[in-house]
Amino acid sequence: MSATWSATTFDEVFAADGVPREHAQALVAELERLGAESLVAAGALRDAIFMRQGITFDLTSPEGAVADRPFPLDLIPRIIPAAEWRTIKRGLAQRIRALNHFVDDVYHEREIVKAGIVPWTLIASRSHFARAAHGIRPPRGVYTHVAGCDLVRDAQGGWKVLEDNVRTPSGISYMLENRLAMTRLIPSLFAHHRVRPIDQYPALLHAALRSVAPVADGDARIVVWTPGPANSAYFEHTFLARQMGVELVEASDLVVRDDVCYMRTTSGLARVNAIYRRLDDAFIDPLEFRPDSLLGVPGLIRAYRAGTVAIANAVGTGVADDKAVYCYVPAMIRFYLGEEPLLENVTTYLLDDPEQLEAALARIDQLVLKPTGESGGKGVVIGPAADERRLVELAATVRLDPSQWIAQEVVQLSTVPTVASDGTLAARHVDLRPFAIYGDEIRIVPGGLTRVALEPGSLIVNSSRGGGSKDTWVLQDDEESEIEPVAAAAFAPPALPTLRLRSWTGQAQQQQQQLLPPP
Amino acid sequence: MLARIAHELFWLGRNVSRAELTARMIDGVFQADLQGRPEGPAGVTLSWDAVLAIMGSTATGKRKKNAVKPSRADTVALLSTDPANANSVVASLERAREGAHTVRDVISAEMWEAINAVHLGLADASVGVTGYGGPYSFVSYVKSRTALFWGVASRTMLRDDAYAFLDAGGRFESADMVLRMLRVALPAPGERAAASPRDGQALALLGAVGGLQAFRRAGVAAPTATAVASFLLYTRSYPDSVAASIDAVRGALELADANPRASEPVLRLSRVLADLDFRGRVGRNDDGGLLEVCEIVGRELSLADGDITERYFGGVMSPTHVS
Amino acid sequence: MLFSIHYKTEYHYGEPVTDNLNALRVRPATTATQRCDEFHVRTDPESRLGRHSDYFGTEVIEFGISKAHSSLTIDVSARVVTSEPAEPPAPDWEALAAPAYLEAAGEYLLASIVEPPNGALDELVALSDLASPLEAVEGLCELIPDRFEYRTGITYVGSTVADLLAAGGGVCQDFVHLALIILRRHGIAARYVSGYLFAAPPDGGHDSVEVETHAWLEALLPDGGERGEPVWVGVDPTNRSRAGEQYVKIGHGRHYDDVPPIKGVYRGGPAELSANVVMTRLDPATSARA
Repeated sequence: MSATWSATTFDEVFAADGVPREHAQALVAELERLGAESLVAAGALRDAIFMRQGITFDLTSPEGAVADRPFPLDLIPRIIPAAEWRTIKRGLAQRIRALNHFVDDVYHEREIVKAGIVPWTLIASRSHFARAAHGIRPPRGVYTHVAGCDLVRDAQGGWKVLEDNVRTPSGISYMLENRLAMTRLIPSLFAHHRVRPIDQYPALLHAALRSVAPVADGDARIVVWTPGPANSAYFEHTFLARQMGVELVEASDLVVRDDVCYMRTTSGLARVNAIYRRLDDAFIDPLEFRPDSLLGVPGLIRAYRAGTVAIANAVGTGVADDKAVYCYVPAMIRFYLGEEPLLENVTTYLLDDPEQLEAALARIDQLVLKPTGESGGKGVVIGPAADERRLVELAATVRLDPSQWIAQEVVQLSTVPTVASDGTLAARHVDLRPFAIYGDEIRIVPGGLTRVALEPGSLIVNSSRGGGSKDTWVLQDDEESEIEPVAAAAFAPPALPTLRLRSWTGQAQQQQQQLLPPP
Repeated sequence: MLARIAHELFWLGRNVSRAELTARMIDGVFQADLQGRPEGPAGVTLSWDAVLAIMGSTATGKRKKNAVKPSRADTVALLSTDPANANSVVASLERAREGAHTVRDVISAEMWEAINAVHLGLADASVGVTGYGGPYSFVSYVKSRTALFWGVASRTMLRDDAYAFLDAGGRFESADMVLRMLRVALPAPGERAAASPRDGQALALLGAVGGLQAFRRAGVAAPTATAVASFLLYTRSYPDSVAASIDAVRGALELADANPRASEPVLRLSRVLADLDFRGRVGRNDDGGLLEVCEIVGRELSLADGDITERYFGGVMSPTHVS
Repeated sequence: MLFSIHYKTEYHYGEPVTDNLNALRVRPATTATQRCDEFHVRTDPESRLGRHSDYFGTEVIEFGISKAHSSLTIDVSARVVTSEPAEPPAPDWEALAAPAYLEAAGEYLLASIVEPPNGALDELVALSDLASPLEAVEGLCELIPDRFEYRTGITYVGSTVADLLAAGGGVCQDFVHLALIILRRHGIAARYVSGYLFAAPPDGGHDSVEVETHAWLEALLPDGGERGEPVWVGVDPTNRSRAGEQYVKIGHGRHYDDVPPIKGVYRGGPAELSANVVMTRLDPATSARA
């Protein structure tokens, strides 16, 4: 296996001397045994399976043509040892709890503003701050039902949070499909590892939605609300609806009457209790948000305010998704939880502040500039990779409205070996998006979606910009397990009754003579 | 189930049926035209104009200006492969394909493949309506693909309300299309009845729907136009008769409806069925009488269509307006 | 002054419409200088009314009519008492930098209205840069009606300030949006106010006037109130005046969209709208006010 491992980045498999780290030794041995040819063959099979099953991603080429590509799953899994996962898990849960408090605070008492920690004008100027959500408290005070906080590792291998995604984080279906595909393509890799399962995610999501649905008794009706087949994540919407066993609805299927949300069925209107929505606030209700949104349901906010329907994630949660707000999360953890943050932020500068703005623009070629209200890597400019003209343009744009921009130090993301087209291994940069579900408790699925930049040296991992993904393995830990394995006895089938054949005993047969009545 | 999905399934069934029966109709009338051209002056020549009108297709504007009656070739092309004609076979199949795509989660993968492959097949040059065999290869191909679709549906689809709506759509369209065929086969009011050409046409249509053997086995009468029309209208035991199709729609809707006794379409279809049964036994079953029955039933079906849309699909939805 | 207000809106639809959802912001607010004593809303067809206070504190009346109907009438009636506001403070420009001011100003300092490009407003900003914030505010109330003609029919609800500049004229909504941009450029917090104006001629003699809903603005001036806290001062750039007792406020926001009198969505074709507001003065008019 030939690959040059960089001295300035942290490789998760190979240490500085090229020797595999302890947790990866079995993996490396198995990869060497398989060899380049098998890996290439497995890759071809993977592509064929994904295309046939429709596990694809829309990719827009530079010319603008949109094509269905098979979702690019790299065959080498990324292993996270149990002890590291424990830290990540606790840090994330802490962070999500703080973010949830923040959202509630923003739309009610504003304590964190009164305490002078976060300026109100910052919050009121966030593009996803929803005035319509003011004063509304959703069931159990949970706003961030689904959260995907992106994590990276710096050159020393330390875990840091890169950004928080609490609007409509996607990628869960790819995580689940990746695991399934891996077990079919290279099952031998699993041989020496005890990998924690992840397929309980849909059940967890379903349970969380049930726990927040306002029902007096009986079953809650839950739906997944999609903008439709034209949306690039539509596959995930259908996948989750199917896995949870709930209806997938579009806006025309829903109607609000008398502050109650219904869906149109063949037997008339059926009440909807909880909606897992995969569209942004701006589009959900033309009466409260964008009036031109054909994807919305008029009156939905009324039903939400009346408490007759739960919406996940809650309306207005996007305010916590903002990259400027991200800078305050460590302060939030201290303020709401009275704890020290377990996971650090990446060093970030709020360009709202004139001093920070000038300092950042002076070093614009060394920093990463991000618009605060976007997601999916949209609008991000990596200074060292951009040309002079682009940077001049960027500086001018930022000056127009600095409150909508932040700057971050470039993190040399950690690398993991990835299969190149000829079957050899090469180091590529990765990040991690674990998925958390907040229902009655915060639960984090072991692992998450590892996104990998497929271009050599590239730090852009977003699939919409040409990135791929890896199956993420969190190894079984003897000390504790996040999700209790169900006791084996519960699954034992009921004992079959024994069929003992008795020998026939003759009995005097009574002749049957029954005259039929005459016709 | 979701009204929108049920609506798609209903129309998937209708479009597949429409495509199939339009193809069969083309075959039958083509045959009849070949046979029915009288050498003598007496008798009726088949008017392709009338066929188009009954099929709900009209000749293009250019032809109207010239006021030339459409030829056989033109009519066949218009009904079979003209994508601009909403009722042509290819247009119906294209709509069916789009509908199947929307409900892919509900129908089986094999059903999807059966429909999806059709338009690929139609692009094949050997499947056409022009050329030596006339429309034969085209009609054969469409018949086989649609039969595959229904066959796979009957084997792989769960018998729930999704299946009921798909089935209802298919049988509804079947009833409608057979009615249209009968109006072609039966003489128009006031027409001088020339028995043999009409009979030839009726038989050709019967052959096109595949009912020749059934007719003979039912053994009711000599194969005149009247007898054939009667058979296709009333005979419950023949699955493609109008009565049998309407009965199937009613049965499917009864299964899908939570409260069938209060269902307007179910009630209407039951009434039509009862009427058909009655007339079949004691009605005036000469040509004029049968034509009248066709018209009455056609009207009732149209009303039933509206009832179905209203009850199950929430009626026609107007667009949202911001004020 | 004591007013009764009667605001009637009628929609006529060509074809019957369904699922007609509406939100009304029509109730006179209760403030330091105004009190709403009576308030009724009736709809035809009848509907159940819901009410809540929105983010800006404006009272919102909501209702929905799901069955098919060909017309909708909304009947609003109210009684309100107004009093003349206090004299506005006249601090210096430096007072705008005080922390107490910035805290009270909040989001009303932020640009929220799309500004015409290429420095089109720079001249007006310069011209209104007067000796004190109060003078700037009052100056704009002369400057804008001097520059722009009040004319209906050339702009509409969705018009931008760029449209106003291009057309050279518009209505109160446009004037207020322009003033808000300029005031915020000066660092003066300002907000859009929706309400009713008893637009009777000054010599009195009219008890009842037919009006439209009106838009004016409130600017935040520092060092005003009893304890030196900032106060919101109402002025009207359309009518060159301060917002006195003839002004009945409904609510405020950053711009028009935050406080529209009626907002609605329905299923169906286009509608014909007719609306009228009748304000009647109920207390005896004083003669020849100084």
